Amino acid sequence: MAVPALLEVAQRALESVPPGVDGAQATASAERSLTLRFARSRPTQATSIDDVSVLVTVVRDGHVAAAGTNRSEPDALAACAAAACAAAEAAARMAGSGAYPGLPDPAALRGHGGHDPATARLDPSTGGAAMAVAFEEVGAVGAEAHGSWSQGEVETAVASSAGLAVLDRVTDAALRVSALEPGGRSGMATAAAFAAGGIDARAVARRAAAKVADLAEPARLEPGEYPVVLEAPAVAEVVDWVGRLAFDGLAYAEGRSAVSDRLGRRVAAPSINLSDSPRFRGTLPRAFDAEGVPKNPLPLIQDGVAHRVVHDTRSAALAGASTTGHALVPGGSGSGAVPTNLVLVGGGAADEAELCRPIERGVYVTRFWYTNPVRPREGIVTGTTRDGTFLIEDGQVTRPLEDLRLTDSVLGVLERTQAMTSRLELVTEVRHYGRRFATGVVCPALRASSLRFTG
Amino acid sequence: MREILSNLMDAASRRADYADVRHVRSRAERLAVRGGSVEAADRTEEEGIGVRVRLGGGWGFAAARGSDRAAAEEALERALAVADGAPRSAGAGAPLAPERPASGRFTAGVAPGEDPFEVPVSEKLAVLAAAEEAMRGDPRLRVTSAHFLAFGEEKVFASSEGALFEQSTAECGGGIVAHAVEGGEAQIRSYPASFRGDVAQAGYGHFAALDLETHAPRVAEEALALLSAPVCPAQRTTLILDGEQLALQLHESVGHAVELDRILGSEASYAGTSFLSPGDLGRRGYGSSLMNVTADATTPGGLGTFGWDDEGVPAQATPIVREGVLTGFLSSRESAAEIGLERSAGCMRAAGFARQPLVRMTNLHLEPGAAGSLEDLIADTDRGVLMETNRSWSIDSRRLHFQFATELAYEIRAGRRGRLLRNPSYSGVTPEFWTGLDAVCSRSDWRLHGVINCGKGEPGQAMRVSHGTSPARFRNVQVGVA
Repeated sequence: MAVPALLEVAQRALESVPPGVDGAQATASAERSLTLRFARSRPTQATSIDDVSVLVTVVRDGHVAAAGTNRSEPDALAACAAAACAAAEAAARMAGSGAYPGLPDPAALRGHGGHDPATARLDPSTGGAAMAVAFEEVGAVGAEAHGSWSQGEVETAVASSAGLAVLDRVTDAALRVSALEPGGRSGMATAAAFAAGGIDARAVARRAAAKVADLAEPARLEPGEYPVVLEAPAVAEVVDWVGRLAFDGLAYAEGRSAVSDRLGRRVAAPSINLSDSPRFRGTLPRAFDAEGVPKNPLPLIQDGVAHRVVHDTRSAALAGASTTGHALVPGGSGSGAVPTNLVLVGGGAADEAELCRPIERGVYVTRFWYTNPVRPREGIVTGTTRDGTFLIEDGQVTRPLEDLRLTDSVLGVLERTQAMTSRLELVTEVRHYGRRFATGVVCPALRASSLRFTG
Repeated sequence: MREILSNLMDAASRRADYADVRHVRSRAERLAVRGGSVEAADRTEEEGIGVRVRLGGGWGFAAARGSDRAAAEEALERALAVADGAPRSAGAGAPLAPERPASGRFTAGVAPGEDPFEVPVSEKLAVLAAAEEAMRGDPRLRVTSAHFLAFGEEKVFASSEGALFEQSTAECGGGIVAHAVEGGEAQIRSYPASFRGDVAQAGYGHFAALDLETHAPRVAEEALALLSAPVCPAQRTTLILDGEQLALQLHESVGHAVELDRILGSEASYAGTSFLSPGDLGRRGYGSSLMNVTADATTPGGLGTFGWDDEGVPAQATPIVREGVLTGFLSSRESAAEIGLERSAGCMRAAGFARQPLVRMTNLHLEPGAAGSLEDLIADTDRGVLMETNRSWSIDSRRLHFQFATELAYEIRAGRRGRLLRNPSYSGVTPEFWTGLDAVCSRSDWRLHGVINCGKGEPGQAMRVSHGTSPARFRNVQVGVA
């Protein structure tokens, strides 16, 4: 769908809202995407999506209701608006005045360079070529290639009764290659960028293949605390949980956050600087949040000290603060507000090998898997390692390890961080449950003095 | 719609080895009350066409919104193009397991007057508000919320082999949650289940029968009591799981492990693989002789109940484990053929029109035993721990090493419930854990538990499945691990 047409859809949806409400917002988003999956060095599933969705949000007496459709004909938009109004009216009648403070006023947006026309063309041969390279490189070490290539374009238009009329266009692309050798060991590498041309498929495939090239049998490591070197995908998982468990403004206001009562205090090593930076080099930029509020850089941890939490309009009202542009849905979410463009500033190490050098006996981790919070208030998460876990001995990676379970505080990992690489990577996942909403963490690899492995 | 899809498949049959198409209209409603305010009153509807083609062993899929011939034809062209854009490999493209073309109509979930979407929003909000208010009062209860969910789906399916059928389902449910916070301690308590409560393929009566308001004071009291309860100690002991936690244990350590696409490596890069192999069928011990697991897409009320799966295979009941031995897999026509099975187990399911079907759980049950009620089981246990209501879950990519946490636990001493314990957790290795199963409660305590957030696939698909369980007892389990 052409850009002006999408904003027009949002404006037509807004005009469908009958008078008598306290505010209304219409969001129209268009997704065009292509995902190519492969396994056992052959293509398996290719998925092409072309869809437009419209969400009408209505405010009535401090309550928010919404209705959505993927049709854009006038009757569909009118039905959608009527459903949202009826629900808002029911809410107002039932509960009296609600806590929602009203839709945000328009504010000036800053542009970004996060749209690449070549990526938006969704040429299947781009991903097909990446796949062929993965088959070749992984096959060269006697393993089979598994993984996915995904690229997409998402346009989002927001119009509101507060006078908002904005549009954003973004693209994203990601490649993940897992090399699986006949004995069952696997190695993984990834790359992502806003432009497909920024992904070096051969380099990714070679990194994955190198992790299974060593034929040594994996050793088993006893549970305990070990120094670790975490590759960027593992760091991204830690940082993502830090964002969710510590810097969600709603959880903070309700005393459930891992940094509740700790803003202004040291929560990480002095070298840790973590921010939400929507236009940082290498990130997946975004102009505004789900309420049309401009995305701007926000420091979360500065020199190891917890600095700010993120808010949408709803959580900000509860906390007596202002929105920071982190709404995930119009009207704010009961699940809270989370950062979507986390950036962890790197250190001075040249590479992962340099990070390993001071470690006498430790663990090298490519990525974590199936992590979930155990005690969110303490920031404690459990999960396992996967796709490339190695023993570090006398400063060098010496042999593969069986996967390990960790149960530890994610803030604790940042507290015990000793060194980081200067090179940063964008780490993203092709999850996209529901509408495509590509987010990522830009981060280095790091060394931490200990991580608690529990099995 | 039937004619459009049939004609499309006629055209597709001349250009692909196999093709199918679904027109899907999906509805969802989510209502929530939190702290006296309406937190959510959302309703969404979407419809579109998803076309899947098989070329040289690879699948191309394209989704387009709408319901007209042009949208369908455009989606077919894109599906063919993306399938054709992938590199070809030798040896791919073996025939699918045979299936007679399906036809007919299937409807489930709604009795007359029970459509959850037809009940006024105000009526549903009033139920939630009353329940939420009944939890409030103590300032340590920082968050109290009540929620309602409903889903509806109408589908028309056609294939290049001549299948043509329609099916529609409706689902609803809900629950309540209380978060208690005091100092650095935070605890949560839910009813009737965590993570959005209990949802079933049923009409509004299912939600009404949950009787949230009656349970609300107990939920609030338990959340508060957990703040000062002793921590569940680390020990190896006897563990009794309530039905809800057992449902998730079954889901993670059996359901995903027996998905044949994982076993064959098709999901190795993302969802993972399995500790099982095709050769284990009929031979491998999975657990004790009390372990009987069935995948049953015909169970009334189950979120995995349908007439046909999303490649036209009729719903069926497949024995997965019998007396502790692996006897079946969850499969598709492609994966079943690959290991020489005569027929697919009918487990291909897609989330909405814009995703292609994957091998998914349907309704996976642990068949009831003969241990009586939960209270009978406790009375029969000298020492141990009873754990209730899932709070956290994690398992490795081969579905072997797991760790779960629950909202609360009780110690069991001399056949009685003892102290309330906070932060309970346990871990184990799948076959060892299931080998420790030494008692399963009777059918009187057996019920369905809905799981609405089962994730798989790229792009991601959240599937809704059900698990029938009754409480069960496991010996020699490591608890207090987190």
